[in-house]
Amino acid sequence: MASNPTIPKTAPFGDEEIALLNRVVGPASATQRAWLAGFLAGLESAAGGAAQPAAPARPAEPITILYASESGNCERLANDFAKAARKNALKPTLVDMADLDLATLPAIKRLIVIAATWGEGDPPARAVRAFNELMGESAPRLDGVEFGVLALGDTAYAEFCAIGKKLDERLEQLGAKRRIDRVDCDLDFAEPAGKWIADAVKTFAPAGATDSKVIEVDFSKQAVSPSLDIVEAEITEHLNLNSSRSDKETIHLALSFDGGAPPYEPGDSLDVYAENDPAYVDELLKLAGLSGDDKLRGELIKSRDITTLSLKTVETYAAQTGHRYVKQLIADNQAKEWIVGRQLIDLIATFPIALTAEHLRAITRPLAPRAYSIASSRREVGDEAHLLISAVRYETHGRARKGVASNFVAERVKKGGRVRVKLRPNRHFALPAPDRDIIMIGPGTGVAPFRAFVQERRATGATGRSWLFFGDRHFTHDFLYQLDWHEALKDGALTRMDVAFSRDTPEKIYVQHKMWDARRELIEWLDGGATFYVCGDAKSMAKDVRATLVRAYADVKSIAPEAAEQAVTSLERDKRYLTDTY
Amino acid sequence: MPNKELSSMEHLKARSRYLRGNLAEDMADPLTGGVSEDSAQLLKFHGMYLQDNRDLRPERTKKKLEKAFGFMIRIRLPGGVITPQQWLALDEVARTYAGETLRLTTRQTFQMHGVLKFNVKTVLKRINQVALDTIAACGDDTRGVMAVSNPHQSKIHAEVYDIARRTSLHFKPKTHAYYEIFLDGEKVAGEGERDDVETIYGKTYMPRKFKIGFAVPPSNDIDVFAQDLGFIAIVGKKNTIEGWNVCVGGGMGMTHGEPETYPRTGDVLGFCRAEDLFAVAEAVCTIQRDWGDRSNRKHARLKYTLDDHGADAFRAEIAKRAGKPLEKARPYLFTSNGDRYGWTEGENGKHHLTLFVENGRLRDFADGRRLLTGMRRIAEVHDGEIRVTPNQNLIIANIAPENRKTIETIVTEHRMAENATALRRNSMACVALPTCGLALAESERYLPSLITKLEARLAAHGLADEEITLRMTGCPNGCARPYIAEIGLVGKGPGRYNLYLGAAFDGSRMGKLFREDLDDEGIVAALDPVFAAYAKERKKGERFGDFTIRAGFVAKTMNGLDFHKDAGAKRTA
Ligand code: SRM
Ligand SMILES: Cc1cc2nc3c(=O)[nH]c(=O)nc-3n(C[C@H](O)[C@H](O)[C@H](O)COP(=O)(O)OP(=O)(O)OC[C@H]3O[C@@H](n4cnc5c(N)ncnc54)[C@H](O)[C@@H]3O)c2cc1C
Ligand SMILES: Cc1cc2nc3c(=O)[nH]c(=O)nc-3n(C[C@H](O)[C@H](O)[C@H](O)COP(=O)(O)O)c2cc1C
Ligand code: SF4
Repeated sequence: MASNPTIPKTAPFGDEEIALLNRVVGPASATQRAWLAGFLAGLESAAGGAAQPAAPARPAEPITILYASESGNCERLANDFAKAARKNALKPTLVDMADLDLATLPAIKRLIVIAATWGEGDPPARAVRAFNELMGESAPRLDGVEFGVLALGDTAYAEFCAIGKKLDERLEQLGAKRRIDRVDCDLDFAEPAGKWIADAVKTFAPAGATDSKVIEVDFSKQAVSPSLDIVEAEITEHLNLNSSRSDKETIHLALSFDGGAPPYEPGDSLDVYAENDPAYVDELLKLAGLSGDDKLRGELIKSRDITTLSLKTVETYAAQTGHRYVKQLIADNQAKEWIVGRQLIDLIATFPIALTAEHLRAITRPLAPRAYSIASSRREVGDEAHLLISAVRYETHGRARKGVASNFVAERVKKGGRVRVKLRPNRHFALPAPDRDIIMIGPGTGVAPFRAFVQERRATGATGRSWLFFGDRHFTHDFLYQLDWHEALKDGALTRMDVAFSRDTPEKIYVQHKMWDARRELIEWLDGGATFYVCGDAKSMAKDVRATLVRAYADVKSIAPEAAEQAVTSLERDKRYLTDTY
Repeated sequence: MPNKELSSMEHLKARSRYLRGNLAEDMADPLTGGVSEDSAQLLKFHGMYLQDNRDLRPERTKKKLEKAFGFMIRIRLPGGVITPQQWLALDEVARTYAGETLRLTTRQTFQMHGVLKFNVKTVLKRINQVALDTIAACGDDTRGVMAVSNPHQSKIHAEVYDIARRTSLHFKPKTHAYYEIFLDGEKVAGEGERDDVETIYGKTYMPRKFKIGFAVPPSNDIDVFAQDLGFIAIVGKKNTIEGWNVCVGGGMGMTHGEPETYPRTGDVLGFCRAEDLFAVAEAVCTIQRDWGDRSNRKHARLKYTLDDHGADAFRAEIAKRAGKPLEKARPYLFTSNGDRYGWTEGENGKHHLTLFVENGRLRDFADGRRLLTGMRRIAEVHDGEIRVTPNQNLIIANIAPENRKTIETIVTEHRMAENATALRRNSMACVALPTCGLALAESERYLPSLITKLEARLAAHGLADEEITLRMTGCPNGCARPYIAEIGLVGKGPGRYNLYLGAAFDGSRMGKLFREDLDDEGIVAALDPVFAAYAKERKKGERFGDFTIRAGFVAKTMNGLDFHKDAGAKRTA
């Protein structure tokens, strides 16, 4: 948790920057503050004479930046936009879609929307309510509002940038005027997003105020704290927590950092920069007839996404190679269906053609990092960070598939080895005040952040009660961190734990069933002000858990389903129903 | 035993409120697959053992996991008789909750292993629906009552089986703890506080396990001389049981390096008439209850009580408690302690099939022998009964002649009766690793491969068809009664066994330690010359065990007290 803020929200910084600064300035001693003051002053003079005024003299024009974000990318971009805006005679107001009150929309003159798409074309969890209201009949007319939309997404998903697209259309329907065309960004969004922000700022800035400088959003530079850079970590522990009789493999990874661990908080994640499986790369190169090319090989292993097969990939492949059958596939609208469960390697294997290194570069995108919830608290493990990584393995179309990052960790990195990671803060999944109760639903790897929660609460001697729901396949073989939980229950860091194992009995039992069994106590805790956390699988678990909580309210308080739904919605509004799902 | 500190187990029993303790709470704890040490002890009285998979031990704590706990569940099955309907229920729970295997035991019943704590109640409730339970299948009480399984004398068998059933019932603990804890039965208010619940046992039950068995000559399949209390039926002219020779003080367990512990064959103390059976049985049981050593559990079995007090004192006390003295023992003749395989016809015109089940392991094996499924098919069509023999085998009993074909077909289709050699058919191994907490060496998982090697040696000496009994255990507790097998192999440490020779084929005499600490090759190398000599020097019809004594390989063991005396190889080639 952030220590009591010293730098006010009104400061000319993004919320996240403020948070980060506070982490440093907050606990700093008088001497440290004095030193900082001196240092900054020194900087100005060193920079040569007078500092640039943060904003032009005359009153800035207001602009609202509305963001729908789950894992923070859109939120960071919104902050970048705000910074750029301030430099261009605009007075930005940042609004998280979670907090959006629709009634305020019509009054806004300038509206920027930066939205991500999650699940299977769904809005980020926090944004669901506002999004639905905006799409619904009761949405207000927005004549007189000028707007622009930036969409974030992942071409690997069928519903690429669906939410950004929908918002873009809807605003126009409601009478708002589009001043700048939407851009749909893939995972490597830094460049296109940076460009769009620069253009948008230009477009909306009061005439004459624009300084022509294009601010490029290079994250490593943009980060105000070195902790947001990519750092190298040494693997000090690497063990599979599943028994040798389990059909799963879940790696507990302990990382240590030379320069001290990034200043992570419970609930934050780490981006892991993985490498592709050399064997897979070699197979790919062989199929492409490029086996000899070691430079290309290294490049593919380190930095290209060579597994994802998106519609875009197929189209580029057709365009680049002019492959007849691939063209045909697209012409017959078969492509969208064909790529399901397939990877790039299937495309090249099924539609072979002589390829050049350039072709391969063109049909692949940069390899994106994968996020992993941090499973430790710095207050307990010091300068380490723990991750809990489940090896993704499955078979489709007669081919054994291996998730890139999870198998990089499970199969190719060893104790003593090094990995590149980057802190991915998530202040929307943080612990409440120490005296508040918490309920944690974390089946499978979803339990990771809750290990951090429990460690943190032990270290800080928090007085609030903690209740954990965990589940997996087999009690004997898949009870992740079992002995840690036993200890936490003994020393009181954990008040209660309920477990559900789905494959020990003929009928499958999941966490939501255990929630239902304990619904009375659950609602008691929530009535008592407990915060409810859900982490893990987004596809079904998170939905089932929410549905179960609604049913629990209806049953325990004997109220109508609508009223129960309301109860949960208001938990969400009060930020007492928090999710981190994937 | 006066003024000696009672063992902790005695205190636990006394405060357990008739076997309740904290079992209910421990069973309900969802975060551990185990129970407290006290509860684990009490579990035994309810027919269960808390075990863990020893194969997995090395990796568990490293993976932040507790031991791989699993429950061993043993059925109470007097005389080893089970109905097809009961079989189907066992098959069902074994497939769903116990790793798709059932284990026949050396005391004619079934064990399931690796049952998760959270599934135990489901299993017990299911088998309870077919009138099966696990009460007193383990623990300091009268457990698994054995009875001859030999199918030839249908009438006598029916009679003896009925007696075994009633004996089991008579000595079954009266406490309702089992029903309360495992079957969600009515709580019997205040039972835990009363003093008069266990009319035979009292609050502290027996000093140690107490085993009863009924034999009918000529078959000694139950190994009557290994029972604490064995009865040998004396069958009269009119093919009815006139009474019983009473055999007291058998037991196999001992501890390596502790000569004050020893296996012992029971002594025939006398004869009692059929109508006095229960009086005598209760007399012996209560004598052991009152005289047995409750301070030292390694000296608590009836066999030590008997040697401590002497046969005469014991006989006198029986007379006192039973109301009349035992008569002079009647003559009897045993021919073997093994099973006879294949089809036979009983006096009642019904057919019986005795199936060899290697080490009592019922499973669908990778090599295509599908014993578990085959037995299920049989249970689905069979209208007689099924018997578990004391040699871990099965008898499909009382098959109506018209059903014989159907059953034969099932047997061949599932490859349930692949012909095994004489040695294999006369072998037994205890469970041992990975479930048995006391195992020092492999047994069930190892014996089959050893036998293959010994078969080759026997064949080489032209002895392939000789019936020789061979039994292996993973530790000296003797669960497969190795000391009364002509070749006894007893686990000493990983891959190491002590070899015993000289036991009688009919189970009436124990063997003698021949060689120690033998590994796989060592065993074969030690036995090969003995086989060779047997092939050359044996007299007509001379049994292997008797031969090894006459030929001077080992000294003869008369009884328990001289078991450790004069040990070692007297001759090696
Ligand atoms: C399953 C079985 C062996 C088999 O492969 O069939 C067996 C298995 C075990 N026996 Fe036994 N005994 C089995 C028949 C015997 C016999 C044979 C007999 O009774 O005819 C004996 C020798 C006779 C005797 O009691 O002396 C026997 C003497 C022991 C002993 C030594 C007792 C003693 O007082 O010396 C122990 C250890 C103990 O009780 O301290 C023991 C203990 C055990 C335990 C429960 C190990 C433990 O205490 O933790 C074994 C469970 C292993 C597992 O994973 O299943 N078992 N055990 C037999 C089950 C019989 C039944 O259905 O009730
Ligand atoms: C905020 C956040 C926190 C996370 N925390 C954790 C964590 O703590 N622990 C953890 O293990 N993971 C966590 N994840 C998930 C993690 O980031 C990766 O998505 C996961 O490890 C898979 O990455 P990969 O590179 O191994 O697999 P990839 O190479 O990315 O392959 C994954 C893809 O394979 C396909 N796929 C997967 N399974 C199947 C199947 N059965 N059938 C067909 N197709 C399939 C899907 O398209 C899926 O998107 C988190 C994700 C987010 C966003
Ligand atoms: C579990 C999961 C599901 C996603 N589903 C989609 C999707 O359906 N369509 C899409 O275009 N992008 C999808 N994405 C990609 C995200 O939109 C992308 O990572 C975006 O940068 C996240 O922005 P945020 O950090 O602001 O939430 C998904 C990402 C994850 C982790
Ligand atoms: S003989 Fe020893 S190893 Fe074998 S089952 Fe009995 S106790 Fe276990």
